[in-house]
Amino acid sequence: MVYFILKRLVQSVFVMLAVAFLAFSLFRFVGDPISQMTGVETSVEDQERLREELGLNDPFILQFARFTSDMVQGDFGFSYRTRQPVAEMIADRIPATLELGVVALLISLIVGIPTGVYTALRPRGIATQAILMTTLVGVSIPTFVIGIMLIFIFGVQLGWLPTFGRGGTVQIGGWESSLFTVEGWRALLLPAITLGVYQLTLTMRLVRAEMMEVMRTDYIRFAIARGVPMNKLHYRHALSNTMVPVITIIGLQFGGVIAFSIVTESVFQWPGMGLLFLESIRFVDIPVMGVYLVVIAFFFVLVNLIVDLLYVAIDPRLRVRDVQ
Amino acid sequence: MTRRNLRQAALLGGALSLCALGASAETLRWASTTDPQTMDPHAVNSAPVLSFLNNVYEGLVRRGQDMSIEPSLATSWEPLEGENGWRFNLRQGVTFQDGAAFTAEDVMFSYQRASNEAADVRSWFAPVSEVRVVDDFTIDFVTTAPNPLFPDSIANFMILDKDWAESNDAALPARDAENFATMNVNGTGPFTVASRDPGVRTTLVPNANWWDEAEHNVTEAIFTPIGNSATGLAALLSGEIDFIQPIPLQDVAQVEGRDGFKVLEGEETRVIMFGFGHEHDTLLYSSDVTDANPFTDPRVRLAAAHALDIASIDRVLFRGKIEAASQLVPAGISGYSEANSDRPDYNPERAKELLAEAGYPNGFSFGLKCTNDRYINDEALCRAAASMFAAVGLNAELSTGPVRDYWPQLRADDFDMYLLGWSPGTFDMEHPIRFLLHSQDDEKRLGSWNFGNYSNARVDELLPQIQQEIDPAARQAMIDEVVSITQDEVAYIPLYTQPLIWAAKENVDLTQRADNFFMLRWVTVN
Repeated sequence: MVYFILKRLVQSVFVMLAVAFLAFSLFRFVGDPISQMTGVETSVEDQERLREELGLNDPFILQFARFTSDMVQGDFGFSYRTRQPVAEMIADRIPATLELGVVALLISLIVGIPTGVYTALRPRGIATQAILMTTLVGVSIPTFVIGIMLIFIFGVQLGWLPTFGRGGTVQIGGWESSLFTVEGWRALLLPAITLGVYQLTLTMRLVRAEMMEVMRTDYIRFAIARGVPMNKLHYRHALSNTMVPVITIIGLQFGGVIAFSIVTESVFQWPGMGLLFLESIRFVDIPVMGVYLVVIAFFFVLVNLIVDLLYVAIDPRLRVRDVQ
Repeated sequence: MTRRNLRQAALLGGALSLCALGASAETLRWASTTDPQTMDPHAVNSAPVLSFLNNVYEGLVRRGQDMSIEPSLATSWEPLEGENGWRFNLRQGVTFQDGAAFTAEDVMFSYQRASNEAADVRSWFAPVSEVRVVDDFTIDFVTTAPNPLFPDSIANFMILDKDWAESNDAALPARDAENFATMNVNGTGPFTVASRDPGVRTTLVPNANWWDEAEHNVTEAIFTPIGNSATGLAALLSGEIDFIQPIPLQDVAQVEGRDGFKVLEGEETRVIMFGFGHEHDTLLYSSDVTDANPFTDPRVRLAAAHALDIASIDRVLFRGKIEAASQLVPAGISGYSEANSDRPDYNPERAKELLAEAGYPNGFSFGLKCTNDRYINDEALCRAAASMFAAVGLNAELSTGPVRDYWPQLRADDFDMYLLGWSPGTFDMEHPIRFLLHSQDDEKRLGSWNFGNYSNARVDELLPQIQQEIDPAARQAMIDEVVSITQDEVAYIPLYTQPLIWAAKENVDLTQRADNFFMLRWVTVN
């Protein structure tokens, strides 16, 4: 098991290197950092000097090599835009993104699994049809439209919830959390729903499909024939078998939720990593973009690893194979 | 605002908050699209930074509500006798927010800091040859040539405390790494920064020891950058913020249609124009004329100008909020040439005639470069212009892109015609002459935004004379000549002045200055 985890972590280094390489080969096309860093009155000569100082005239292979070797030594560099240390900027923004992503995931599971089970057990019910229709609409509207609709309904028209930001946050050992105040939760609700809608629909449909599949299998028929109580049958025997593929997909999707929370963060001015990345693109802030992409790549690898471990925990057959 | 009004305002505010409005009446929450990149006034010469820091730091002179220059840390200034330059008499009894006294040493230090290679504002001091501290409250700025506009040109030159900066290792502006002044402030201005979370929120509180009498009644001001305009509008309409700059044109009706909100409209000083590749031998993006550049013929450039119907653009794209422009600065800016206030009218027939005279009776195709995120409705403007050009036979191949990628393309001469907006940093006509009309000259640092390298010997000759002329009438005569030459030659096609649109709650009184700076010292929350 330890060997398995180590192997994955070594792999993650290669993934991060590959991502950083791709990123650096593309940065040239994003735009010119110097014209974003300097004012209109700055002379061409001064701009050139700055370009030289920052090493932007070097071939991208050299820039990439410098970035990698600095990173390995723990030097994440300074932002072109704010002049702050990049490591600090990203670390400050991680809690906001993670909390948003986790709450969005929880919402999608808490709502998605029960509705999935319900719609699987009553496939022809009116409520089922209604739920399926609604979620179809939910999944076909782009995230930013859902976000803006929620803002205008609950923020502007009804005035129940804040329209932007994180509300009240508290510092817990360097982690800025919005989970411990009412204001924080009020601010979290709309963005989490916006981010979670797609996941929710996916979870629900997956649970429904898997559950219907499982309900047709022999052991369930046998269990029905044996007179196993329906509740126990549905939730003990059928659902736990349903969950294996569901967890895989949801887990893999979670990496995407974190990485692509950019749109939601932008609509709600949610001060997470995604918003930082967006601002960095606007200013062609190469150090921040580079580190962000590497961190996200690491995150993806980590989530995949956790999914694999969960898989083993849920499915006993894999454990047996592991022992052999 | 008198003291009694203030008291009434406070009483009213108190009554309102008793009516369970919740927020304290004197807290102002405002939003803008861009967070100031730094709190260091010399590190970045950008509008978000200078606008924000003008609330905290002060210069020798400052701009009033109507953009006029007025005394600030200098009480008066006069030309030096016997040499070129200016003497500034400094205000006595001013202290920095940390309690240190303000003296000429601080001005000297700030000058050295701001004119250093690491500073982005150093171009302001290009005319300065020497700075001398005469005594604690007198300082001389010696210039290489007579420079009547020097005091105006340093309105955004902000003064730091020498001891504070040196003892905190911030003697130089941070160019590629942070230093103490990136996040901390110590100015002499009306407000000080109480807390800062970059990109999230910055809180300002009044400076109790400010030397000037406060006209505002703000006890706390919270700034939040909101990049997404729909989110910003929602934040205003839901009451979470009191004021936002700017809002998109298409949202004006939304705000006006609601009780308790108002839209503030003004003219920005930014003139939007089309520029040409005057120096190009051939067109880069033409499918029919590949061996020549028709735009080198002034008749073709004039034809392009006659093809544009600014009134329709105003009506359809800008809801009647733009002002047609005849030259590179709008009316009201110093140096504006009244004698040349006519622009080529909309006259497609004349345009076709001119093209025929120039040898292109059937027109030709060319490439038009535009931004899509820099100026208000820039992409829509270029689409409209392209169809108007097409009506006279000028077939524009439009390509649009984000501004972060735009200037490098223009610097690389990758255009036939391009869009440009220009706001005169010094609020004087000399500014666009220096940057847009003078021939490119890297050594003298002139014409650095004259991408197409429009070049006229007489204009080049007049610029230094305009810079040095003390007599206003003689100076204006020379400016009139430059404007007249560049209009005759259609160096650019000036289109219009961009509108400035802010939105606020009804109970917030504020001043919309033409440079788009938001000054907290003129805010009253009723």
